[in-house]
Amino acid sequence: MRIGKKWFKSLVLVVGVGLLVSACGSGGQQSSGTGASGSGSSSGADEKVYVVGTDAAYPPFQMLEADKISGHDIDVMNAIAEAGGFKIEWKNTGWDPLFDGLDKGTVDIGISSITITDKRKEKYDFSEPYFEANQLILVAEDSPVTKLADLKGMKIGVQAATTGEEVVKKAFGDTYQGLMGYDDMPSSVDDFFNGRVDAVVGDNGVLQYYVKKIQDKKFKLIKDDSFEKEYYGIMVKKGNTDALNKVNEGLKKIKENGKLQEIYNQYFGTN
Amino acid sequence: MDWSVIYEYRELFIRGIINTILLTAVATVCGTFLGLFISLGKMSSNRFWRWICSIYVELFRGTPMLVQILLIHFAVIPSIWGLLYPGESSPEAIYSGFVALSLNAAAYIAEIFRAGIQSIDPGQMEAARSLGMTKGMAMRLIILPQAFTRMLPAIGNEFIALLKDSSLCAVIATPELNYAAMNVAKSTFERYPPYMTEAAVYLVLTLFLSRVVVRGLEKKYSTR
Repeated sequence: MRIGKKWFKSLVLVVGVGLLVSACGSGGQQSSGTGASGSGSSSGADEKVYVVGTDAAYPPFQMLEADKISGHDIDVMNAIAEAGGFKIEWKNTGWDPLFDGLDKGTVDIGISSITITDKRKEKYDFSEPYFEANQLILVAEDSPVTKLADLKGMKIGVQAATTGEEVVKKAFGDTYQGLMGYDDMPSSVDDFFNGRVDAVVGDNGVLQYYVKKIQDKKFKLIKDDSFEKEYYGIMVKKGNTDALNKVNEGLKKIKENGKLQEIYNQYFGTN
Repeated sequence: MDWSVIYEYRELFIRGIINTILLTAVATVCGTFLGLFISLGKMSSNRFWRWICSIYVELFRGTPMLVQILLIHFAVIPSIWGLLYPGESSPEAIYSGFVALSLNAAAYIAEIFRAGIQSIDPGQMEAARSLGMTKGMAMRLIILPQAFTRMLPAIGNEFIALLKDSSLCAVIATPELNYAAMNVAKSTFERYPPYMTEAAVYLVLTLFLSRVVVRGLEKKYSTR
């Protein structure tokens, strides 16, 4: 009998705490939801708020500072929304869930240094490009490597499912043993400095940002001219012309009035 | 849904299966040895050892394995390597996996060992001691063989959990099975084929562990 009572008490406790926690969770969600729609409706009628998804782990394009998303792409998207006259709400979805969210409609617009590729175009629509990127190779300062082909047989770090990985796969095969696909770019650069990979292949913007940040370490960045130029685009679900037109309109305005260049200079210098 | 991607990326999967088995095997062996000593430490009459081993178990049981893997791979091993071999490369990701999985398994296995040993009637130890055996001899020859039989189901459980948890090593780019599946899913936009294949392989591996390895051991050490 005593055991039964204790058992019952602990059950009540567990269920109680569970309810409390879930209540807090949903309460928080609700308040943030009303906050967003509140700011949307304050400007007038029932305006649509576009949910913009990003993977905030790709400095300096998108990153988390304290609990705020910031970076080049964030500033660009905010400027586009302002110029295009529509409301947006940010959502830090992560890379894979971003594509999934677009498929399912929980995310309207994706901006996350997404390179415009034919493969992606099959499933999604892209805006006009807002950034020109090319791949760079990060190697040790005294490395004899001068081009991508020299990396054969070496361990190469990339962020999985990015253009950097595609470039390496194209050169050395889809199942190249030395290819290490990390979840995020900073991890692969970390492991480069830990000596676990011999080189990192990635977008110029991100790697150049590291040059600025880690000046005491010895490394160099190599540009291989055989890499095709790439363009970052803003992505929507295929057929979502409403969102796409609004984005393109805003993008055109900030290209014309110099705002896009201004944001670029802020992050990457004027060169 | 295009299942041909599995064939296209078969090398990645095969390498992944080998590394998954390797990770599990190493962690099982190292974890069992380390776990045995930690469990003995927890039952030691020396307060210092008891204290150290209890802290170890609570630390590794009380923090997520994913966090342990990230911490060991990106922080602990590079710092140790920096101190011991300045300028040299840190070991590859799979070694971080070995270390993290072994240390984690040891904490759980230590508790299984303790439960098994403490389930043996104290009279057994007293009888062995009265026959003139030392404490160590009694533990080795009398207590552990009996405890081992009782622990086998729980240990089998832990091995299976370990096999599945090795999938967490994908976050540090260890080329194991989950890494292979995630990589294929990300590069081909196919979801069902890689993840279903992965799940099927894990199921085959765990079934092999439970039906063949653990059952075989249980039969061998059966007292009935």
